[in-house]
Amino acid sequence: MSPNLLLLAILVPAAAGVLALLMRGRAGAVSGPWALLATAANLGLGIFLFDKQADLNLPWAGFGLQFVLRLYQFSGFIVLATACFGLLVALYSIRFMAGRANRNQFYGWMLLSLAMVNGAVLANHLVVLLFFWEGLLGTLFAMIAIGRPGAWRTATKAFIIIGISDVCMMLGMALAGWQAHTLIISDIHLPLTTSVCTAAFVLLMIGAISKGGSMPFHSWIPDAAVDAPLPFMAFLPASLEKLLGIYWLARISLDLFELTPDAWVSPLMMIVGAATILLAVSMALVQKDYKRLLAYHAISQVGYMVLGIGTAVPLGIVGGLFHMLNNAIYKSGLFLTGGAVEHATGTTDLKQLGGLGRRMPVTFACFFILAASISGVPWTNGFFSKELIYDGALARHWIFYAAALLGSVLTAASFLKLGHAAYLGKPAENSDVKFDQVREAPPSMLLPIVILAAACLVFGLGNALPIDHLIAPAFAGTHFAAAEHGAAEHFAGWPESSMLVLMTCLALAAAIINHLLGAKRAGSGLGAVDHIHHAPGLAQIYDAAGKRYFDPYDIGMALAKVASRILWLIDRLIDGVVAGLTSGTARGAGYAVSAAHTGSYALYVVWSILGAAAVAAYMLMH
Amino acid sequence: MLDLFILAPLACLILINLPPVGSRRLALPLAMVLAGVQAIAVLCLPYMPRLDGPLTSFFNFGLQITPLGRMLLLAVGLVAFVSLLVGQASLGQDRRLWQFASMMLLAITGMNGAVLVSDLFSLYVFMEVLAVCSFILIAFNRDPLALEGAFKYVILSAVASVLMLGSLSLMLLVAGSTGFAALKAALAAGSASPLLKLAMAGFVCGLFIKGGLAPFHAWLPGAYSSAPAAVSVLLAGVGTKVSGLYALLRLAMDVLPPSAALGQAVMVVGAFSMVVGAVAALVQKDIKRLLAYSSISQMGYVVLAAGCFLADAGSADWRLVAAGELAMAGAIFHLFNHSVFKSLLFVNSAAVERQAGTTDMQLLGGLGSRMPVTGATSVIAALSTAGVPPLAGFWSKLVIILALWQSGMQAYALLAVAVSVATLGYLLLMQRRVFFGRTAPNLQGVREGSEGYVVAELILATVTVLVGLAFPLLMHLGSFLLPANLNL
Repeated sequence: MSPNLLLLAILVPAAAGVLALLMRGRAGAVSGPWALLATAANLGLGIFLFDKQADLNLPWAGFGLQFVLRLYQFSGFIVLATACFGLLVALYSIRFMAGRANRNQFYGWMLLSLAMVNGAVLANHLVVLLFFWEGLLGTLFAMIAIGRPGAWRTATKAFIIIGISDVCMMLGMALAGWQAHTLIISDIHLPLTTSVCTAAFVLLMIGAISKGGSMPFHSWIPDAAVDAPLPFMAFLPASLEKLLGIYWLARISLDLFELTPDAWVSPLMMIVGAATILLAVSMALVQKDYKRLLAYHAISQVGYMVLGIGTAVPLGIVGGLFHMLNNAIYKSGLFLTGGAVEHATGTTDLKQLGGLGRRMPVTFACFFILAASISGVPWTNGFFSKELIYDGALARHWIFYAAALLGSVLTAASFLKLGHAAYLGKPAENSDVKFDQVREAPPSMLLPIVILAAACLVFGLGNALPIDHLIAPAFAGTHFAAAEHGAAEHFAGWPESSMLVLMTCLALAAAIINHLLGAKRAGSGLGAVDHIHHAPGLAQIYDAAGKRYFDPYDIGMALAKVASRILWLIDRLIDGVVAGLTSGTARGAGYAVSAAHTGSYALYVVWSILGAAAVAAYMLMH
Repeated sequence: MLDLFILAPLACLILINLPPVGSRRLALPLAMVLAGVQAIAVLCLPYMPRLDGPLTSFFNFGLQITPLGRMLLLAVGLVAFVSLLVGQASLGQDRRLWQFASMMLLAITGMNGAVLVSDLFSLYVFMEVLAVCSFILIAFNRDPLALEGAFKYVILSAVASVLMLGSLSLMLLVAGSTGFAALKAALAAGSASPLLKLAMAGFVCGLFIKGGLAPFHAWLPGAYSSAPAAVSVLLAGVGTKVSGLYALLRLAMDVLPPSAALGQAVMVVGAFSMVVGAVAALVQKDIKRLLAYSSISQMGYVVLAAGCFLADAGSADWRLVAAGELAMAGAIFHLFNHSVFKSLLFVNSAAVERQAGTTDMQLLGGLGSRMPVTGATSVIAALSTAGVPPLAGFWSKLVIILALWQSGMQAYALLAVAVSVATLGYLLLMQRRVFFGRTAPNLQGVREGSEGYVVAELILATVTVLVGLAFPLLMHLGSFLLPANLNL
């Protein structure tokens, strides 16, 4: 295979995206099918490239900057996965986005995002990676900004948050390149023993987990869930960004740096992961909006992956990577069910929904499977990846295991609440939704949901397929596989520890009992967790969180405002002194010189003669 | 061939003054063609055969062309062309156009002659030819202000003539000839004698008056601002440059012996002009007066660099000598750039004066939207004057400042930078008061100037932008326009 074919993975979606951007006005109707065609071609390319190896090296920007791409098991896997999600979301969007004025922009930016992700995944040079990484930030901004009016505010928020973490990543790249004496990613192998290397790792990690949407870089995601077009949520925050962010996190942990349990960054990552799981899921628990609830889960689930990779033991890392894939599947599926509900009823406010299960049976069935997956119900894919992560976490310290398990309880509780409130029970009273007119979503929207739900079952029941063919080859060749365990270790199959399975079942049972009791007490599915929401102590915290007191972005912005106020005062002071002095002097001198020009010939002649005399005298003296 | 630069305008002058009277209508187009041909001919000069014309062979009149001379001839052609364009657009009647064209042809003769001759006395004579034309042209409209401006010029020119003629007689006494080469040898041999020092000082001070350097400048603001628009363009663009600055640079390179004392004196005058011009420009209310003071300030840069050359030339350290030569290259380049952008600013002011009826900045405002070409080209010229990259003025100022720094004159270099900040300040003030902001109600009816102005503005703006952008290229062609030994 010619390595130049790698360029196609970037150029095909990019060119298709630019064309889609040009389809303005009435031509926008073509943009949907066009995007479908382009994503199908991209998927074909992804399948073709999968399981192949190639290196491309083209001269690029001078200064020794080479355009270096590398296709191997891991990057091929991610390219294939993103291509699948691209096709499914494009198919879904055709009906969802139909008739919207800026749909061609949606498809255009979506295809460009695909190109950027492909470029970033294949990049084998830090600068090339950065180029595509930031390109994705640009398309992300555009995709949020084309949402409902005022969405640019959220887009700006996302841009600033990710931009700040990307600056960290840039610094990390510079440090890593300096330490390794090369910018070629596959040539960088640094130990995590010196402080400079550790600093580089932490900075790169910030970029990676921020792209994945982990706390504290998460706060734009719930806002975007409300403001941006829904397929965007399924496309970027739920799947592509997770894949890319966790891919990069795995690359830096496994290839670029030798992450070992001894390095202090390992507990750091585990703490970040555990905190993200718990805090985000607690927020998800009390959401009253379908999309916002899912958005907080999109954050919470990253915590599992960060925790899993942070354990620095093979079980945890494989679990984290497997979870990355599983999460992308069920989370984008869940968002798509949200879109189906929004399409059918015009709202995602849970207070206005209820009893949709009978009206939309296929959507409900798929939702059930997807929710079971995210909650980690046995035999779904989420179950297997979580068990691997639990196992890894337990190997380090039981506290991380406890946090992850508690997260699972709350996840299950919140999905019980969501499913109950949206699909079961009776239609909400005094709702704007006309329930007798609610219909199942059209086939082109159902198909992607069904495929994703089916994938949850397939990857669960047959978990050997993804683990042995997608994850393990990516894991092979890293310092873990080479050093201790060899490629022979088997991660697939039923979990080895029955105790862990038992604990998981107990946790699920706890969530169900909690829900039943809560629902009975509140009288509705929506209020099933109100006893937690309004518990003494927690109520105030939730209240404050609802007012965004904990949003790092808002805190940062408030601090920035104070700082800029102070700086402005200082600036005025300096400006007053400097400008007053200089302009006063200049003005005074100017008027003095002007006043000297009286218009008298005699005076002017005297000036000239005096000047000449001075020059002559000076010459004679020297 | 060089004779033609002097003989052709003279012949044209005679031609348009012969009967029949009807031919007078062709006077201005003829002069314009002549100026245009001159600008092109200068560029083709290296490819032309060297033939001795009647002036050389019959009158034994040694004509010489130096790279500095080429630069000046090019500027003379360009600016005279533009000035004639503006004159045609602003003067109106045929009779006045004919008179104007006649004086312009004579002025071109004088400028070309001054540039080409190679002896000091002839140089003085051609400078006086130009000066007489200037007196008449300034007073062309015969209004009291113009007469006053012209009269001041006459008076101070008389002082200059006394200084220069006196110095010439002293030099003749010593050297026995006024040819540049002979003078150079004599001056170098006896440069310690106080008599010669006095002569050099006197001549240079005469040139300072002609070139309008502070404190010898007092005639200049009145003359520039009261003259008709077309004449201001010519005077500010090339007139005083040829008579004062060209002569100074030529003498510094070809006649004057290297002298640290003279160099220091010249630098002081240059720096003083730079500062006084800029400071006075800051508070002017009239566009033309502001531009006049700006001219004084910009000529300060040229003189400062020339002084740096004089001061460094005698040094034993080759690095200092090289820095001095760099300064001279910057001076020549800045002289040319100044011709272009200052003429452009004067054309802009002429267009404003014609269309809005005044050059008082307090009465103007927001003309940029009414006169887009004038506004845009004015901004370009202002930025080039202030030395903003990548325009032409940036490069010449940069070269001068670099050369000053390399010569160990950091204080002068910093002063030059500070003055260019002030330059940006007063020119932006002017832009804001005249072109930016909201159009005053009484100026709503103002339109863009006629084609003559627009074409003139576009030509000059194109030159200043192109010279700036192609500067690296011009550096390679430097041997044509800059002295061969001045390698940047």
